[in-house]
Amino acid sequence: MERRAIVAQQLIDGSVIEACQQGDREAFQLLFETYKDKVFSIAVYSVGGDRAVADDVTQQIFLKLFTAIRQFRGESEFTTWLYRLVVNACLDERRRRKRWLPWGESTAMSNAGDRKPQEKQFARLEVAEAVQAAIAELKPSFRLPILLKYIEGLSYEEIASVMGCSKGTVASRLNRGHSQLAKRLSHLNHPAAWGE
Amino acid sequence: MFAKHVTRDISAYCHGELSPAESRRFAEHMISCAKCRGEFEEIKLGIKLAEQLPRVPAPESLWIGIESSLAAPKPIEVKRTSWQPRVAAAAAILVAVAAFGVWRFWRHGSSSQFSKPAWQVQQLGGASRIGGERITKEGQLAVGEWLETDANSRAQIAVSSIGKVDIDENTRVRLLETAPTEHRLELARGKMSAMIWAPPRLFFVDTPSAVAADLGCAYTLEVDDHGAGLLRVTSGRVALELRDRESMVPAGAACETRPGVGPGTPYFEDALASFRGALETVDFEHDAVARSQALDLMLSQARARDTLTLWHLLARVDGEDRVRVYEKISAFVPPPAGVTREGVLRLDQGMLGRWKDALEASWFVNDTVLPKVIAEGYWRVKNGVVRRLKQQ
Repeated sequence: MERRAIVAQQLIDGSVIEACQQGDREAFQLLFETYKDKVFSIAVYSVGGDRAVADDVTQQIFLKLFTAIRQFRGESEFTTWLYRLVVNACLDERRRRKRWLPWGESTAMSNAGDRKPQEKQFARLEVAEAVQAAIAELKPSFRLPILLKYIEGLSYEEIASVMGCSKGTVASRLNRGHSQLAKRLSHLNHPAAWGE
Repeated sequence: MFAKHVTRDISAYCHGELSPAESRRFAEHMISCAKCRGEFEEIKLGIKLAEQLPRVPAPESLWIGIESSLAAPKPIEVKRTSWQPRVAAAAAILVAVAAFGVWRFWRHGSSSQFSKPAWQVQQLGGASRIGGERITKEGQLAVGEWLETDANSRAQIAVSSIGKVDIDENTRVRLLETAPTEHRLELARGKMSAMIWAPPRLFFVDTPSAVAADLGCAYTLEVDDHGAGLLRVTSGRVALELRDRESMVPAGAACETRPGVGPGTPYFEDALASFRGALETVDFEHDAVARSQALDLMLSQARARDTLTLWHLLARVDGEDRVRVYEKISAFVPPPAGVTREGVLRLDQGMLGRWKDALEASWFVNDTVLPKVIAEGYWRVKNGVVRRLKQQ
């Protein structure tokens, strides 16, 4: 899947974007298929794990992309421009909702059917759920750089460009985000918590 | 000396965002600054946790919702650009990649090496093998792969950007993990020499009888065909660990390991041969009488710097033997203020730690190995001078 996404991403070049700018639905669908998982992931972590709200946010982002892409002039990388749109949409959603939903059982992304009996895998799943909950509690200025780094795999320079800040600020925010994650989840700093 | 702490660069260092010169300065400072090391451990945990975030697949129904929300289709004059053949090409490539993925998974199962991180390997002589295939001049060791040398071959591994490991003849090593927070090799058999320039506890080597945790150092590690090991530290220090058993091995010292037991007790390599022989009995023999007699011999031959060995033995012997070890160490270096005989004998960790700090001065007296504080100061100054000269 990862490989397919990389291949597809390599095919999103000027001509596809140009076709999207002319309103071509098929080109837009190619764009959607390429970036949907990345955009949805950021949305779902940004709204505290509520998949229904993340659905709405992701739809809004792509609808906005469909109209706003005409304004894309190629002055920055397309991905930078796209993630800027995603970050702004997530921040708008936060302002609209005024408070974050707690990461409750009804909204948790874990799928019990995926759980395998092996103790280590189960422990890793538990850790991942705890991290998701802790991420949801971070301030957006710390959460978004973490999502762009670990979900999208962006470099510090790319994150800085998306967030409109300096590379040093990205480094500092990631540092503080990591530090807060570690403090909130210090009880996981033990091999047994990871099933080891 | 510590005016320029490097805590703000910790994440950038772990993510490889610093330049080589910045990385080196970072590691130099980290080795000598306890404050920054404390924060490094915390941020390392934060990074390890953040790496657990999975990407969440978007629901299949999402496109339907988007499509229905778009305005009614308008006839659009689409210029025939080159993108349409690209969509066809994309579809064809996706199908091909998916088919290749299925074939590869079927062929190799979960050991597929697709986009796995890897280390550079350089051949130093003969022909080593990676994943069973011969390499000529250079190769890549991916996570999960074995590097094997025969009687005529040697190789050198570049450990990410933090150091290098020389692999001797007849050695078998596997790369277990390489991540910002942890680099881990497995040494199944043979001999390796590591030179690591990085904050403590970033590079680990698993052996059949212990795990070697680098604390900023150079060392050699050997494992025989039965899984028994020998660690010899030439610079800095290394922790040998297995479950709750740990040995701290400083420069100039060595430590043996045994399967089923774990790390033995560290000793300075210039200790008497009879002292080292007796230690082997104390560490790995089961006969209580033989062990007690061996301890007698050790206590009669111990020098001041052998308190490295005796301090570790405190937790490994009990009853009257522990009392005898305590008294021998006290004869060389009395416990500092606040450290009591009762506390030591009941293995109070705080008191043991404070006494160890007091003992360390005697471990490096009359030796070519400088005390840690002086050595670190020396290297900081030396490295700074060399750097400035290079910049000029």
